[in-house]
Amino acid sequence: MAASQSPVELVCPAGTPAALRAAIDAGADCVYLGFRDETNARNFPGLNFSREELAEGVAYAHARGGRVYVAINTFPRAGHPEIWHRAVDDAARLGVDAVILADLGLCDYAARKHPDLRLHLSVQASASSAEAIRFYHEAFGIRRAVLPRVLTVSEIAGLGAAVPVEMEVFVFGGLCVMAEGRCALSSYATGKSPNMNGACSPASHVRYIEKGDKVVSQLGGFTINTFGAGEPAGYPTLCKGRFEANGRLNYLFEEPTSLNTLSILPEMIAAGVRAFKIEGRQRGRAYVANVVRSFRQAVDAIARGETPPDMALEDITEGGRQTAGAYERSWR
Amino acid sequence: MQYQRTERSRPVDPPFSPVLLAGVALTPVPPRLLQPLFDGVMAVVRRRHPDILERLSAYPDAVVGIDPVDLPFVLILEPRPDRPRLTVRRDFSDMTTTAVVRGPLSLLFALAEGRLDGDAVFFSRQLVIEGDTEVVLALRNAVDGAGIDLDADFAATLGPLARPLRRVGLVGGRLFDRLSRDMDLIRRALVGQALKGVDAQSARLAELESEVATLRRSLRQRERP
Repeated sequence: MAASQSPVELVCPAGTPAALRAAIDAGADCVYLGFRDETNARNFPGLNFSREELAEGVAYAHARGGRVYVAINTFPRAGHPEIWHRAVDDAARLGVDAVILADLGLCDYAARKHPDLRLHLSVQASASSAEAIRFYHEAFGIRRAVLPRVLTVSEIAGLGAAVPVEMEVFVFGGLCVMAEGRCALSSYATGKSPNMNGACSPASHVRYIEKGDKVVSQLGGFTINTFGAGEPAGYPTLCKGRFEANGRLNYLFEEPTSLNTLSILPEMIAAGVRAFKIEGRQRGRAYVANVVRSFRQAVDAIARGETPPDMALEDITEGGRQTAGAYERSWR
Repeated sequence: MQYQRTERSRPVDPPFSPVLLAGVALTPVPPRLLQPLFDGVMAVVRRRHPDILERLSAYPDAVVGIDPVDLPFVLILEPRPDRPRLTVRRDFSDMTTTAVVRGPLSLLFALAEGRLDGDAVFFSRQLVIEGDTEVVLALRNAVDGAGIDLDADFAATLGPLARPLRRVGLVGGRLFDRLSRDMDLIRRALVGQALKGVDAQSARLAELESEVATLRRSLRQRERP
């Protein structure tokens, strides 16, 4: 399927070459992906791309009018930035369309070594103010900022008027607590940092234990949740744990709910958003194809001046529930 | 890498399907007679999907149990790079595994072909995993990323026999679909009334949960200073 002429880009996840092909075939304008190491924030086992697979993926996407962005969005270990530098160099060499960065030092390295390479600011940089985004633009020539999921649509519109870069926002998928790039909950439970090692709640520390008709999920030896018979289970991240406090069993930080902004996409476009990002590089190609196809239809409908159709995506959302998150802040 | 003694901790209910009937028919067949079939499957994986084994190369000592719950045997996958093996056994008795995946055969095939999302299937409790989650996730990602097409794989394996056997397969597939529909009809006839009762109870439970949530919210608002 050829990429559309829509005013917004659909930026879609690819954890594997098969997911990349599924995303492009389903109508993605761009796919974003990572190398098979700790340089990206989805460093999960069996996932991500070798250099050869990236070269093939770039060729596949470009031949169909699509683009490829490479996320190099973790923070280099002190004194050992080599693999992060190599990732930037290889991405540039293999002809990707942009790299997505979070670390100041890496932004500086990429801007100096590869002045023609398009730089995007990762959500991991947690830049939510006009001053911060302007700084990244003026210092390193950042062309696009992926906004943290903490802003309302009207705040995004205000930000858009004040910054000289494109804005990209998440429109679907898993949600984090509102401290992207700064969260240490997983580090506390596992000793591994999502921001440096690239995996929140690494699978090496996850256990599912069957107890009768219940499933207990654990992270780093901590019980995160117990799911009753027939109750949808979830991945054990601390932020979505169900704990007892003051005699009540409850989700203390946030409930396992997925972001879905299908109903507010027109407002996002009116607010000046240039790109819609779908979360889920760790999900399979069936998920990628399904979500990308749905959002392609929605974005194309909006471009034609029509109302986006309703899409049934509950089955693939976390906890089977959806929210428009901070974009609407309906809890206030 | 940690190994666990493997026991069936929670039986996964097999769906009432033709696979279940085939499983009953296969019960007297000794697993060693089926082993050449799975040697062939591994040969296809090595030839057509080497990327699966390459993505699993970080786990050379893994022993993954695969339990198609509607068949009377289990599979043992050892992805060691020099000599990967897929062994068929009657069950997991007297052995240790790194991890076990349990689910109906049709679900396992759908996952292998990337027709279903592994997370969604697991979170909806249709699939059970035990043991080392990292190994299972690596296997899921490796298989999903390979872009497997079982039809094409079988055709490649069979060579010149592929065309006539594919015709047989198409007829077999139609028969299987027909049989699946008929068995579903029988299942609904047998348990339909009971399911209606369960549906009514579920609806009432959802209503009660909603009422409790409303009461809790109003209680919390009252408690606020």
